Amino acid sequence: MSVICEVAAPFVANSAVDGRDVVSPLRAHTGSCLRCQARHAAMSRAARQLAALEGQRIAAPADLEWRVMTSLEGDLAISKTWARPVTWLAAALSMAAAIVIWRLKPRRA
Amino acid sequence: MSNPADRSQVEIAREQELVARAQSGDRAAFAALLREHQDEVYTLARRLVGDPHMASDVAQEAMIRAWRALPKFRGDARLSTWLYRITVNTAWTHKKRAGRHQTTSIDDHLEVAAPVGADHPEMAGELLELRGRLRLALDDLPDAQREVVVLKDIYGWSHGEIAESMGISVTAAKVRLHRARARLARDLEESA
Repeated sequence: MSVICEVAAPFVANSAVDGRDVVSPLRAHTGSCLRCQARHAAMSRAARQLAALEGQRIAAPADLEWRVMTSLEGDLAISKTWARPVTWLAAALSMAAAIVIWRLKPRRA
Repeated sequence: MSNPADRSQVEIAREQELVARAQSGDRAAFAALLREHQDEVYTLARRLVGDPHMASDVAQEAMIRAWRALPKFRGDARLSTWLYRITVNTAWTHKKRAGRHQTTSIDDHLEVAAPVGADHPEMAGELLELRGRLRLALDDLPDAQREVVVLKDIYGWSHGEIAESMGISVTAAKVRLHRARARLARDLEESA
């Protein structure tokens, strides 16, 4: 196994997937090295298989729509009934806590 | 990432109308969009996280996030592209939450799909064998590397889009892809 082959490996892989030439310093080697050419060919085949996957779909679980829409109903119910009172309550509690902390804070004479 | 599926103007107009209705709070319109896109969202989730149960949760949360963010969708990108971005972000969140490396299977249907050249048994056999090796090689990639390969080499995202969705620099995305492909090539070679 040549060291140059190992150095060239990532560039050969990128070249095979992107369909571009290998970077120039390694081009002379990869052009004459059977090992690098075999790697290039194997990666090209793999890249084609990967690209072919884009159009393939895995069916979503049958209950996905139901789960999403049920969650949205809960979402809306909470936001309609509780959002405003909860916001006011949180604001009031925050103000009360701030006042208590301010009153308890030791003051300099 | 353009996913240039041939879609008629009628379909595009219908989708735009559904989006507009959903943006104004029409849940039935959103349900129609959900039915239209749930398979592609789930498929991407499966490819990113592997585990079917986690993928189902990712798809569910992604669609809920989409509903909440829909008023901000301006239609600059296609809806499916926008949903893909949300799915990628959601998958990241889930994986961080899971907090462990999961041994995942990239694509069970690498083997299920009928191989090209099925009329030629030798060729079909070679393709099936390659798909099996490819699946194993992808499964062996670290999560971060596999995600880059999925987004770039399956979905055709640009380095910039990958970097943005993964919260890394473009250079980091390129380096990750470079390493992932090198490892993939090496693993494929070793398994041959």
